[in-house]
Amino acid sequence: SIQLEMPPAPSAAAGSCALSLGSRFLFGCRVTAAHRFAASPVQPPSPLHQQPHLQPCRQGRRWLRPEFRGVYKPRLSPEAMKEFWRLSGIGPDHSRAKVADQQAEVPPEIKRLYQEALPPIVSQDYRDPIVESLHRAEMMRRRRVINIPEFHVGSILAVSVMDKHAPNKVNRFVGLCILRRHTGLFTTFTLRNMVDQVCVQIEYELYSPSIVSIQLLKLERRLDDNLLYLMDAPHSHCTIPFDMVPEPYSRNDPVPVNRERVRLNPPPWMCKWHLHGYQGIDLEHLYSYLSDKDVAKAIEFSKAYKRYDLLDQYLNRVPVPDADYAFKDIFIQHQELLQHQQQQQQSSKKSEVISKLTGTA
Amino acid sequence: SQLIVAMATAPHTWLRLVPSCRSYSKATRLHKIDYPWKDEPKPHWVRQFEARRVDADLTPENRDWLRQWRLQRVRDAVASSSEAAAAASPLKEPPAARPLWTPRVSQRCGLVGIKLGILPMWYRNGQKVHTTVVQIPDQRVLRWVPPEDLGNYASLREMRPYRLNQSLLPRWLTQQRWGLQLVGAVPADPANFTAQWCGIFKAAGLPPMRKISRFLVSPDAALQPGACLGLHHFRVGDCVDVVARTVNRGFQGVMERHLMEGGPAAHGSTKFHRKMGSAAGGGGPIYRGKRMPGVMGNRFRAARSLPVLRVNTKHRLLFIKGFTPGPPHSYCQIMDSWMLDVRRSLDANPPPMPTYFAEDAPEGGYPEDVYHPDLLPYDQPLELPD
Repeated sequence: SIQLEMPPAPSAAAGSCALSLGSRFLFGCRVTAAHRFAASPVQPPSPLHQQPHLQPCRQGRRWLRPEFRGVYKPRLSPEAMKEFWRLSGIGPDHSRAKVADQQAEVPPEIKRLYQEALPPIVSQDYRDPIVESLHRAEMMRRRRVINIPEFHVGSILAVSVMDKHAPNKVNRFVGLCILRRHTGLFTTFTLRNMVDQVCVQIEYELYSPSIVSIQLLKLERRLDDNLLYLMDAPHSHCTIPFDMVPEPYSRNDPVPVNRERVRLNPPPWMCKWHLHGYQGIDLEHLYSYLSDKDVAKAIEFSKAYKRYDLLDQYLNRVPVPDADYAFKDIFIQHQELLQHQQQQQQSSKKSEVISKLTGTA
Repeated sequence: SQLIVAMATAPHTWLRLVPSCRSYSKATRLHKIDYPWKDEPKPHWVRQFEARRVDADLTPENRDWLRQWRLQRVRDAVASSSEAAAAASPLKEPPAARPLWTPRVSQRCGLVGIKLGILPMWYRNGQKVHTTVVQIPDQRVLRWVPPEDLGNYASLREMRPYRLNQSLLPRWLTQQRWGLQLVGAVPADPANFTAQWCGIFKAAGLPPMRKISRFLVSPDAALQPGACLGLHHFRVGDCVDVVARTVNRGFQGVMERHLMEGGPAAHGSTKFHRKMGSAAGGGGPIYRGKRMPGVMGNRFRAARSLPVLRVNTKHRLLFIKGFTPGPPHSYCQIMDSWMLDVRRSLDANPPPMPTYFAEDAPEGGYPEDVYHPDLLPYDQPLELPD
């Protein structure tokens, strides 16, 4: 049998003993409760008109007792909550505590290196914290096998994939990154290049195990999120030699921005490039091909009304707390990855030394 | 002429054999004396949720204390019926010998799952596969209804849809080879529920749960009330059927809902672009079941014969190949597949009968992730054969 332990009675100094009748009786009406306290040891409260916080009003304003103000939504202690979720079998991800304890600020290089760690921009119904944490964990596991460099749209990459029909079983393609989309393990990027005077665009899945290596030849950024307009540009803009030598870069420097403005070919075009707000196109040259009506439409679009569209900002951006949490989680795993790489280097050095001493190949 | 709806050999006294109405005129309309609970809101036998009572006479401290007391009782009930408790404490009834897997006879209980999302993975031959991540919440067996008592089961006494559609009763109801196993999932605060709903769980000594599912189970695989159903009920490589309510797409027209052709977009078409067109032949009636606009989705559908490719013991997840019906965070039922080739493969490699118990665990326990041998973990490089 369980005995109920009554909590300590609220202090009489607050003058609230009369209010044990139930606060609903006090809404907007006078209460003369002196007769109810004839036998009680507690002093009856002062008359209502002397208590400024008990003035009656016609609208029946709801009034909260002083000792309850500020305790409107009492919370469980974190330990009790954790215990309940642990026994229930389901609940929030327990590793959230580890991430929340991460006090150190995430360095900016993490946000550049792990752009796909951000959660997807979809309706809240389709987002799940456990699935997102699984995506991030699997991404970091894959990065133990292959080095995925930092790259942006406008960078030049060389990708080698496994190909059973190729002579060396490896197929190498060099190209300009024109598109980078989706998040997590679904991340893809598209490379464009000219091969024998033919435009070739290949879309690769970043975390596919058939990718043998991703080599960054030139780190660069453009003025746009995608360079799809190069499909209607002269081929010189996306002709990259396959034997290009990689250019050195430093992680600490900011990513160089290529501010060139591309002159498109005369229409017809594959898409109405003037209606997407591209900054990397030579707009004067572009408008020279358009009628006055189209130019007016393009200028109206470029006035950036989206800056004032709050719903567009809400729907098409990742919430800041979610982004912070994701990068913190990735930062912890990034540090573990660096440790793992150091250990591997040490063990490979050890095995080299041992093989030299013993004379084995 | 009379059309007998129930084709069972044994007489069911509770079934009224009503003559079918070929002509739908007013004179032959169905009568209201079919069964007394016909027009009540369904389910009429139990109401689950109750509006939370606001006890204004209680101080918030006392309200908190009572809530903590209720939740502690839920935790104790959950802990006392867990796998660890079952191993330690004596059962109410002595445990029967574990049944053997009988080919073409045995059908085990299933699990209730919560669909979370999709994760892509790769096979060892380089092929990509999408896996549905399903979480197995805390669940217990609630009740066993033997096949002989199916006729007394309240929710199975709704005959009107079968009569209206002139369809036959399902075979599991007429043949009575399988019984019903009720499983409750996701224990919660009893204050959220009605006393009637809590009473369903009282006989099994369980706290009230948010979800009750029923599975068709053969009598040899019946489980006693209070038994714990766990993640390892299914092994990596087992093929399962996943049954769930599909995504509700709202009120849709015939082109979206039934893939009808509609009309021409141009060439003089006057107000006929996405319509149904004719509903029936000249002078004839529009038959019941005519495809028309209406709410699309929100139906129970089954994805059959999906292999379990990976099991994660940390978050209690099953990674099932392919896509399952329903939106994320919806309930789904997962059971051994009814497809014949899967059943035959289970005869050679029988699953834990009647369910997974602690004694089936391998030495050293399970690792955090158990992968299918054909699946490539992300921390291993791909090695294609020459």
